[in-house]
Amino acid sequence: MAGMMLRVSSVHKSFSEPVLTDISLHLKEREVLGLVGPNGCGKTTLLRIMAGLETPDRGDVKVMGKVGIVFQEDRLLPWKTLWENIALGLKYRGLRGEELIGKVKEYSEMVGLSKSDLALHPRKASGGTRRKAALARALVLEPEILLLDEPFTGLDVKARISLREALRLIWSEYELSTVIVSHQLEELLLLTGRVYVLTPKPARIAEEISVEGMDLKSRLDRVKEALYHILSRTPGSEEPLS
Amino acid sequence: MTSAQRGRKGMAFGVGRLLAGAFMLVIWISASATGMLPGPTEVLVYLASMRPEELFAQVLKTLYNSITGFSLSFLISMALGLISHKSNLIMGFSEALSEIFNSTSALVWSLVLVAVMGVLSPLPPILVVAAVTLPHVLTATVSALSSADPGLLEAIRAVGAKPSDEFFEVILPSSVPLLVSASRVGLGTALRISVVAEAFGSSGGVGYMIIRSYNLADASGVLAWSVVLIALVLGLDQLILKPIERRAKRWLE
Ligand SMILES: Nc1ncnc2c1ncn2[C@@H]1O[C@H](COP(=O)(O)OP(=O)(O)O)[C@@H](O)[C@H]1O
Ligand SMILES: [Mg+2]
Repeated sequence: MAGMMLRVSSVHKSFSEPVLTDISLHLKEREVLGLVGPNGCGKTTLLRIMAGLETPDRGDVKVMGKVGIVFQEDRLLPWKTLWENIALGLKYRGLRGEELIGKVKEYSEMVGLSKSDLALHPRKASGGTRRKAALARALVLEPEILLLDEPFTGLDVKARISLREALRLIWSEYELSTVIVSHQLEELLLLTGRVYVLTPKPARIAEEISVEGMDLKSRLDRVKEALYHILSRTPGSEEPLS
Repeated sequence: MTSAQRGRKGMAFGVGRLLAGAFMLVIWISASATGMLPGPTEVLVYLASMRPEELFAQVLKTLYNSITGFSLSFLISMALGLISHKSNLIMGFSEALSEIFNSTSALVWSLVLVAVMGVLSPLPPILVVAAVTLPHVLTATVSALSSADPGLLEAIRAVGAKPSDEFFEVILPSSVPLLVSASRVGLGTALRISVVAEAFGSSGGVGYMIIRSYNLADASGVLAWSVVLIALVLGLDQLILKPIERRAKRWLE
């Protein structure tokens, strides 16, 4: 299908208990898609299935392009500097010398990392800097589909704004289609045009909401309303969203 | 904790360490006052009268025995550790081997190997060191190599890492701190064990010199060579192994 980058059809997944039930969704070309839902409902699992890191028990996933994933925990190699971490994927592809240096430089600048940031080991870098390095590590391989798992979680306001600006710049420069999982509703809704709201575990898609053309307040009201609605139907679940 | 408090704590710690040295010296002086053993001065005089090339040759011999023996056990451990990673049979084999070797004394290894290879063979000290350090090094290696973070492995696979990249870029580096700590302990043990084995043969080394002095009823000689051994163990640990360990763990801070 033209203009479609990723399609998930009737995906089911269980570990010791069902986690995802009958999930169908799609990602359009150059779109920024949001996934929201209560803690532990299966958002990360869904993202991992999209990335091919987990196989669904039933249903299928069609991916029309190269996928890059940024994990919630950054997962940078602690014994390497941020520069070396970003260069990993290029090195595995056999890039060396000027070409390697040039690519790392391009994407580090794009996410807003300075030369001195790049020389740091992950432990010495701030949360925001590490998150940007993890983002750059995925971007250097020039994916067409970018999957971000809770990119704003654990960052302070300044780092969140800085990351948001970096993402906007990236989207304006490269042809990327993006899925963002986040329970930081405000950050998410500033960036996405469309969100899927998931129910508590086992996750189903409760609602698909287009927020295109709405101001932030209306977006927040609209998505919060959907969340309250699904939570009120599952007694015992507390308010898990910020 | 303020830096002043930390400084005071470090100072107290340092004084404690100095006191331990002084404590040992006082015991030695008291014991020598009863005439049971030669005192520090006699031993110092003995040390000063040694031919430097003799001292150097024996120390080198002991270092050679310890390092070669330790390297042997390290290589065996790495090989077993690598295949243990993939095979439960080898995992069980390694574990039981550690237990058997751990239950066998350095004395037994020395006697058996010297009996089999003869007193003139240079091999028993090396093999005894390898056998005695093996259980510790093997256990540490097997657990170090299997302690790599699966999240990191998945992350580098996601950017195209091959199995060899997984080994060299995640499995090996994440085991370095454990391996270096184990090596530090292992090399200290190696030095102390190699002298036991040397004492049973006649191929030289600090252990051989200690037992030779003992057989000649030369108490100053026994103590002087013992001091050499202590200095060797401490010097190796403090001046070489500890700095290496600190360097290897730098990224952990
Ligand atoms: N590899 C796994 N093995 C077993 N259970 C898992 C695994 N991955 C996730 N789960 C379970 O699936 C559920 C959803 O997890 P996750 O997808 O991480 O939720 P979310 O990202 O929405 O917080 C949780 O109950 C979690 O314990
Ligand atoms: Mg999650």
